[in-house]
Amino acid sequence: MSGYHERYEQLREIIAEVLEVEPHELTDTGDFAEEYDADSLRAIEIVARIDKQFKVEIPQSELPELRNLKTTYDAVARHAGWQD
Amino acid sequence: MDAAQIRAVLPQRYPLLLVDRVLSRGERSIETIKAITATEPCYARLGDDAGIEDYAYPASLLIESFGQSAALLWLAGGIAGTGHVLLFVGARDYTVEGHTYPGDVVRHVVHLERVVADTAFATGESWVGDRRIAVVGSLMAARRPADTLTTPA
Repeated sequence: MSGYHERYEQLREIIAEVLEVEPHELTDTGDFAEEYDADSLRAIEIVARIDKQFKVEIPQSELPELRNLKTTYDAVARHAGWQD
Repeated sequence: MDAAQIRAVLPQRYPLLLVDRVLSRGERSIETIKAITATEPCYARLGDDAGIEDYAYPASLLIESFGQSAALLWLAGGIAGTGHVLLFVGARDYTVEGHTYPGDVVRHVVHLERVVADTAFATGESWVGDRRIAVVGSLMAARRPADTLTTPA
């Protein structure tokens, strides 16, 4: 079982790739839409990547929650049942 | 599916209807073929001094052909439904491994990975015989209501 830090960095890499920035450029609380020019399709792509990588399905109704790296991690952790 | 059946499902028309035949179709995968000939419109402007490298079929059209194959999988499965259109959103991790030329028959193998919020994600490969010419990491297509695309009066 991989730990919090490893999963968090994996998520950062996934999202950075979708947003077409380098992982170190993606901050924990940088707003996807305002700071990285993401549109709604990018959010959908992030959800699809999360499903593929972590086998975690995030419901469509929670797409608005995926505002930044931190809120996205929280959503994934909640659905995956990650405790740490 | 033959050319007429494909034409009935896809909105694309000559010269941009780029799937010739469907070899097989399952719930989540499809295999199609596209035959390349020297009479393709993309070769129309080639002069007498054109070399064989000039006859390499454009990657952009290969992606389009692959995308139409993915659309056939989605549309023919009845998932897209009437009153909707499929929009090609983009492809990621598309790797060209070889070229294809007039006389080749390209075979696309497409797998539908998942559908999230009316957006389909597919992966796959394109082959000429036993030679793989392209790998598609991720192709995205979105389903949207057709009336959102009509021109305002």
